[in-house]
Amino acid sequence: MHLILTDSAPIPWFVAGAAIAAVTLVLLYAGNRRLGVSTGFENVCSLVVRTPYFTRSAISGSNSWRLPLLAGLLLGGVISALLAGGWETTWALGRFDSEFGWGNGAKLAWMFGGGLLIGFGTRLAGGCTSGHGIFGLSNLELPSLISTVSFMAAGVVTTNLIYRVIL
Amino acid sequence: MLTRSTLAYLALGAFFGFILSRSGAADYNYIQGMFLFTEFQLYGIIGTAVVLTAPGIWLLKRHGRTLGGKPLSIELKPGHRGNIYGGILFGVGWSITGMCPGPILVNIGEGKVYALAALAGTLVGAGAFGALYPRLAGLFRLPPLQVGTGEG
Repeated sequence: MHLILTDSAPIPWFVAGAAIAAVTLVLLYAGNRRLGVSTGFENVCSLVVRTPYFTRSAISGSNSWRLPLLAGLLLGGVISALLAGGWETTWALGRFDSEFGWGNGAKLAWMFGGGLLIGFGTRLAGGCTSGHGIFGLSNLELPSLISTVSFMAAGVVTTNLIYRVIL
Repeated sequence: MLTRSTLAYLALGAFFGFILSRSGAADYNYIQGMFLFTEFQLYGIIGTAVVLTAPGIWLLKRHGRTLGGKPLSIELKPGHRGNIYGGILFGVGWSITGMCPGPILVNIGEGKVYALAALAGTLVGAGAFGALYPRLAGLFRLPPLQVGTGEG
């Protein structure tokens, strides 16, 4: 299967997995930080929302590294697109387009709804694929195992409902 | 504000983002393929990452110091009911969008316009969670506000 962005095959899984392990270990060894992306959304919220939850030290004290890490993820996407033949905006969404056949407005609503669940869910769970799934599991933490099993199972059920039952 | 440390985190994030972009981890079709058990790619990526990170963390903990010589500190995430219920909500959102938190940003960077809506939803969702924390804390037996549900 080809990537939507490059229309070519992805890099091998063992190369990507090793690179992510390297990112995680460099962040820990050089920065004394545990990998995690979803808290970064709270750091972004804290720039505009000044309620006690967003002004607590765990957030204000981590702006200096979480915000540049998030900006870096964005930049990585830009670089990837540039090296793939040039940056351009796109609405292409692969299988969603061929099976849903929705217009752009409906696509935005679908994505916003899914985003609500991601933002609320990852913060309720205390982490996402990186913080629970990569770092937490690697550090043998039980709450991370519970969360990882929960989000993987929910994803399997939802996607199977969408593509094998409803559509 | 462009200190060496800021640039280092930016560069690390960019490398991470590039890998997510080119591996399929930020690709809608590969995420659905993972959840449908028709594509091994994402299981291979996450599995390899964990299998290599685990001994790395073990060795770093044994070493006990960071590169700069400071004591290594790993704050453990607390266990609470939110681990399950939040995980389930996130899993549904991951399936709907085909993106987990890192890839939302990567997809925006790649130029995928709809990912902006996913980011807007995610920020509103995280903002609502923070605003409702005092009420949710009782419902899901969450740790005190200063501790939070776990950073990561």
